[in-house]
Formats: sequence, structure tokens, C-alpha cells
Amino acid sequence: MKLKLIIAAAALLASTPVFAKWSLVQDSTPVVVGGGKLKVIAARGWNRWSKQPTKQSELWSYDGPALNQIQFFDGLAEGQPMAKERNKKREPLPKFTQAMKGTDVAEAFEQTVRVTQGTPDFAIDRIEPARFAGAQGFRFLYHYTANELVRKGEARGAIVGGKLYMITYTAAALHYFDAHLAQAQAIMDSAKIG
Amino acid sequence: MARALAMACALAAAPSLAQEKAAVKPGFSMPVDKPVRILVFRPSVKVGSQSAGGLVTPNADWTSNARKLLSEAVVAARPGGTSDVVFMPELEGDDALLLADYQALFGAVADTVLQHRLFKGDRLPTKKTGFEYTLGPGVSRLADKVGGDYGLFIVTNDAFGSTGRKLLQIFAAGAVGVGVSSGQHIGYAGLVDLKTGDLVWINADYQMGGDVREADGAAKRAKQLLEDFPAPAGGVAGAAR
Amino acid sequence: MNAWQAGIGTVLLLFGTANAHAKEPKPTGSPSAAGYAPIGRDEKGLWAEAEEEERELKTSKLVVRDAGANAYVRHVLCRITGEEACAKVRIYIVRAPIFNAGMFPNGMMRVYTGLLLRVRDEAELAAVLGHEFTHFERRHALSALKKERNARSWAAWLTVASGLTNRPHNYLPEFLAAFYSYSRDQEREADLGGLKLLHDAGYQTMAASSVWLRQRDEKDAQAAALGVKSLKDSDYGPFESHPMNVERMTYLAREAQAMGTDKSFDGLTDFRQAMAPIWPMLIEDQIRLNDFGASEYLLANLARGDWTGSLLYARAELYRARAKGGDLLTAETLYRQAIARGDAPAGAWRGLGLTLTRTGNQTEARSTLTEYLKRNPDAPDRAMLSAIAEGN
Repeated sequence: MKLKLIIAAAALLASTPVFAKWSLVQDSTPVVVGGGKLKVIAARGWNRWSKQPTKQSELWSYDGPALNQIQFFDGLAEGQPMAKERNKKREPLPKFTQAMKGTDVAEAFEQTVRVTQGTPDFAIDRIEPARFAGAQGFRFLYHYTANELVRKGEARGAIVGGKLYMITYTAAALHYFDAHLAQAQAIMDSAKIG
Repeated sequence: MARALAMACALAAAPSLAQEKAAVKPGFSMPVDKPVRILVFRPSVKVGSQSAGGLVTPNADWTSNARKLLSEAVVAARPGGTSDVVFMPELEGDDALLLADYQALFGAVADTVLQHRLFKGDRLPTKKTGFEYTLGPGVSRLADKVGGDYGLFIVTNDAFGSTGRKLLQIFAAGAVGVGVSSGQHIGYAGLVDLKTGDLVWINADYQMGGDVREADGAAKRAKQLLEDFPAPAGGVAGAAR
Repeated sequence: MNAWQAGIGTVLLLFGTANAHAKEPKPTGSPSAAGYAPIGRDEKGLWAEAEEEERELKTSKLVVRDAGANAYVRHVLCRITGEEACAKVRIYIVRAPIFNAGMFPNGMMRVYTGLLLRVRDEAELAAVLGHEFTHFERRHALSALKKERNARSWAAWLTVASGLTNRPHNYLPEFLAAFYSYSRDQEREADLGGLKLLHDAGYQTMAASSVWLRQRDEKDAQAAALGVKSLKDSDYGPFESHPMNVERMTYLAREAQAMGTDKSFDGLTDFRQAMAPIWPMLIEDQIRLNDFGASEYLLANLARGDWTGSLLYARAELYRARAKGGDLLTAETLYRQAIARGDAPAGAWRGLGLTLTRTGNQTEARSTLTEYLKRNPDAPDRAMLSAIAEGN
């Protein structure tokens, strides 16, 4: 731990840090998210992060990522994980496969969050079939605790052309989840592929 | 370059966020037409000693004194013009868990404001102006215990440079020409409307003044923590004199 | 006198001056004695800081509050320390799938659920609790603080002084390495102190060594499943706070034998009984980490040759999640074995149904999922499973 701090401090001093930036999401018009196929329409007020969590994903936030965030998975391909792997060989994350059903996607998502964020109380509260981007897909609800703050989430997605398209909305359970749920659901409703 | 790097590595230099920042919800002012009660959540107070090598040792007496003196100073400062300042009592069971929930939420909101609103580098475009942050109206449940119109959160963290640290600072500057920081005094405070949950004011300062170990230092610190505190409508901003 | 000598001279003078602060009383007596209060500025500071941490831990969402598990762990601690000392310790079971426990200078102890999943019996649990208690009893946090503080101060002074020469040098790494070496010695002391407590309370002394033996085996199993080299013998270098597992395993076995292996109490039955209510949660937390090798290894240890319906189900879940090669067929078989036993959790039908869907046996998938929904009408994925059962 201490060695890491020293190395981190040295790295900070030695290089010019490149900050990721936030930019405004254009409202009321289709915007492309992630890798380039998924398009959604959002109401005013959302910000997008310039750094991509993974190659096919994108992160938005309304008030700040610790309070609420939307993540877009834009065509996750066979064999790809849902988050960046810290160590591909020793700490692999679950990989998407085309044969997955909605329950499998939810399980893979749960394991991904458990491993990347250390959230042992993660629970799926509901999974049901749902339409997404014009295809037959799934919807699931979840919650977990991170940094002593309980988060709730709703995800909607579908497997189209062998790839996973999914939108997850995660926010603090106290006030924040409910506050923008309707907007998040509207974004999910508006989703189109290609 | 290598020399500065070596120095800084060995000295574990403090982060370089130097500015103090405050923000008030636009249009908000403390009501004057009725008595206002401010409920203070247990302040997070840490006071320690920073060694020559930069390690901070917590000091029990300094911390408990500072907690007591700061609490008294905050009351004496009549924040927002009110003298009705009460402290959240110790809670048990589910009440304690609820309080912990809201403290975690306040922490996340405060961090968000500091990082994405007050700090220039990581601002959200939708939050460049204005001040829309809230804990949600559910926070009123906390007010039910002792009553309170507004909730005040206070966090301070002080590390006083030891004699060794100060000597190192002098030696480094004088003989070697290298800057070594001594001491770290960070604090922030926030005010929440306990009916709506709205954050109506926040103030952060990474270089606070006032020696919190002593009464007049604590008074000075309280004044700094309450800087730009929302004024009663038609009044002057800041804590009442 | 050259610049370097001048520099060192100044450093020593200033450092000597700086260190001549008012003499603080040196703590004496046993921290675990009734009525003990911290002595001196440093110990008081550490206790106050620990008290604040404990205050927060009390309301943490990840503390396991199961009365039975807590009472049992406490009972085991009291067996090795005696009632008086035990009264000075507060144990918190924290939900996290990691093999770890921690001791704070004021008597607060954290035991992670990943550790409760890995210790085989009461003796092994007692070995860990004894280790942590020894840290408390011997004031390790306090001496480590002083050691680290001195190390960093010396490093800072010498580094700055070296700035006077034409060869500036960062002294921190070597001073920190010395500090970590000291930390490792503290861990060895805690291991041996814990072993003595274990022995004096009548427990099987080999239990302490067994914990590390199986940690190494777990690393092997983890690596084997990943197709990588096991890290069990990797030396993590000079900045590691604990000795290598292989070293601990070895000296604990040697010392255990030297103490005499006449004591054999391991409390296996009591341990398994006390952990039973929280085991499903512990197992779930482990198998959802995408760590096939370690998880299968731990399940086999829990089974000890007798695979219950729950353990078979958990193992099947691992295979179903991995779904490589013949895994789905293995999963199907394991679920069937669980169901055949009669003590399978409802999830076994869910798992079997989902597996059969994947392998194309839709007819049986449908009847199996229907059976699951009969057994668990409140299933959160009821709507999804119904759709899958219909072939969607």
C-alpha cells in the first residue's frame, strides 16, 4: 500500500496529468453513445464523460457519478467483459456470450460489480422480459452498498446481432434513484441500434 | 527535476489544492419572519501532529478539546443570525442507522460539489452555475428528534507540524532551497434545509487558519468555516458578529 | 570540512534538537486488563482514533449482526484469553469475501466473512483470534507507529541534507524497507503469541499452521483454473508487511510440534453448527467472484467428502457460470445430484432449468423451471424464468 502511494506520487510529479472531461449531452435529439451504433434521446441535464470505461461503453451523470450515473453498453461482443479488467490473466471478469439469457446477463453484471467495486451485498431484485431498441430483451433491478452508501439500479438491454446492447442506471437509493428514474427510463425507451 | 522528485517523494508533499471556495444556493437567505433552529450533526474533528517525515499521529487531547471548543464557537458565532443552535444527540438502533445513511449521502454530495462544481478541472457542464444539490426531503426524519430547520455539517482535519517538521522546513528552505510544507489544516461545512433536503450552502478551505486547540483559535476557525454563510434576508453575509 | 560533512553535522544537530521533546510516560501494564486506560500521548491518540473508527463501524451496513455467529466467535476468543481480557475486546464480523482480520489498538477487532469461510474449525479460528489478540496485548500498533515515524523522519532529514551535495538521494525506500522488516517481525510475534494462547487453552496446535497450508493450496487451485503460475511462492519484496505464507506455515508447524501435540481439541462440530446460519451468504459471496479455482477448492473443503445439496448446488453454479467446454454437462449432473439428495435448495431447480435451456433440452427445462417457481413463488426473476421456460 505505502509503496503504491510513493509510486503514484512520483508518477504525478513526473508527468503532466491528462484529465478526462465532462461535456454536455445534446438534449431532444438522437445522440450516439459508446462505440457508435446505439442511439438515445435524452432530456436536458445530462453530462457525458470523455473517458470510456471500456471500448464499447460510455458514462453519463446528472448530478455527479457518486450520486447517479447511466452507463451505455454499445455492442459488447462475444468474449468481452463489462468493465476494464485490472489483471486479465489473474482477475478475469465474466465474459459476454451470445448464448446468454437475461438472467445470465444479470448474473454477469452482478459478478462484475462485486469484483470491480467490492460490494458483497449486491442483490438482483427483479428480472423480467422487456422490449429494448426494438428487440426482445430484458429488464432487471438491483441494489448494492459501496462506501456505506446504498445504490439502486435499473438495467435494460437486448442481444442483437450477437452483441449486447444495454443501459444501466445506478443512483443513491436515498432520493436520487427516484429523482431521475423517469428520465432514465425515457432514455432506455428511446434506444435504437444502427 | 530528479532532485525535486526525490525530495517530494521523501516528504510526501500535501496535495496542492490551495483555494477556499464557497457557494450559496442562489436566492436563498435565512428567514427573518420566524425563529430558526440550526441542528448541528456531530462534527468530524481530527487533530494530530505531523512528524518531520510527514506522518500524522492523532492527538486525543487536541481532538477532544477542538471538538468542544469548535462546538462552542459555532454556537457563539450565531450562524445566520440565530442563537438557537442544538446538537444532534447520540442515537441508537434504527435511528443511528438512518443518521449514518444520511451522513454517507452528505459525504457523497459534498465530495461531488467539491470535485465537480467548486474545483475547476472536473466540472459538470450542467453545474457550472447555479447550485442544485440535495439530500432529498426524507432528511426531515432526522429533524424529528430534536427539531431543526437547518442541518449543519462540519468537517475539520488538522495536522500541526512538529518541531522537527518545522526545523526541517527551515533547513530545507535555507540550506538547500527546497520547499517543505508544514502542517495541514483542511475543513469544510455545509448547511441543509431539513424540510426539502436542499444543500443551501457549502464552504471548503484547504488552508484554514485558527489554532483549534485554543479557544480564540477555535473561534477564528469557526468564523472561517462559516464564511459566506447565508445571511438573514436583507442582512450581511457571514456569521453574525 | 566539505559540504557533505557540514550537511550531516547540521542534520544531526537539528534532528537531535527536534527529538528532545518533553518526555511522554511510557505505557506499562496490560491493555487487556480491566480498567486499563491508554498512557501517554501516542497511545491516547491511537485509542481515540480507533474509537472514532469503531463508532462508524457500529452503524456500518456491512457488519454481520447474526446473534449466534457473533456469540460463538466471542466465546472462542474468551476461551483463549480468559473472561477478563476478553471483556476488553469487541469483535465485529464484517461482510467481505477476503481472508483477513484486523486488530485496533483499543481492542476493536474486525473479522471478515471470507476468513470464516476458510478456517476449518474452532481451533483454526482460535489461532487467528489469538494472533490478533497478541497484536493488541503487545501494543504492536503503538510501536509500529513510533518505528514508522522515526523511519520517515530520518529519511526526510537525510534526503534533504543530501541536497547539499552534488548527489541527492532519496532515502525513503531503504528506511521504509527497514520499517516493513520490523512489521514482519511483529507478525511473527503475533503468530507465536497466538500459538501459545491456542496451546494453553487446549486446542490442537497444528491448526495455526494448517490455515497457511491451505492458503497456499487455494492459491494453487486458483492459478490452475486460470492456467497461470501459482503465486504462492512469490516473494513480494521488501515492502511487504507480513512474512510469506510459506514461512508462517513452516515455523508454526515446527513450534506446534515443539510444544507437544497432545492437545487435540478442534471444535469442528461446534464451529460448523455456529456458522451454519451464515454459510449460505458466505458461499454466495465467494462463488460470485468469478474465481473458479479458489471457489471450487473452498467448496470441497467445506464438503469434506460429504457433498450436501447446498454444496452441490453451489458447485454447479460455478460450472454453469463458466460454461466452457463440458461445463454445462457437469453443471447439469451436479444439479441432478443435489436434487436427488433431497436437501437441495430451490435454486438447484433454477440452475438445472437454465442449464437445460442452454444445452437445448427445452422440454425438461420447462418442467424444471416450473418446479422451481412452485418452490419459490417469490423469485425475483419469476417473469424472466417463465419466459425462458416458454422457450423465449
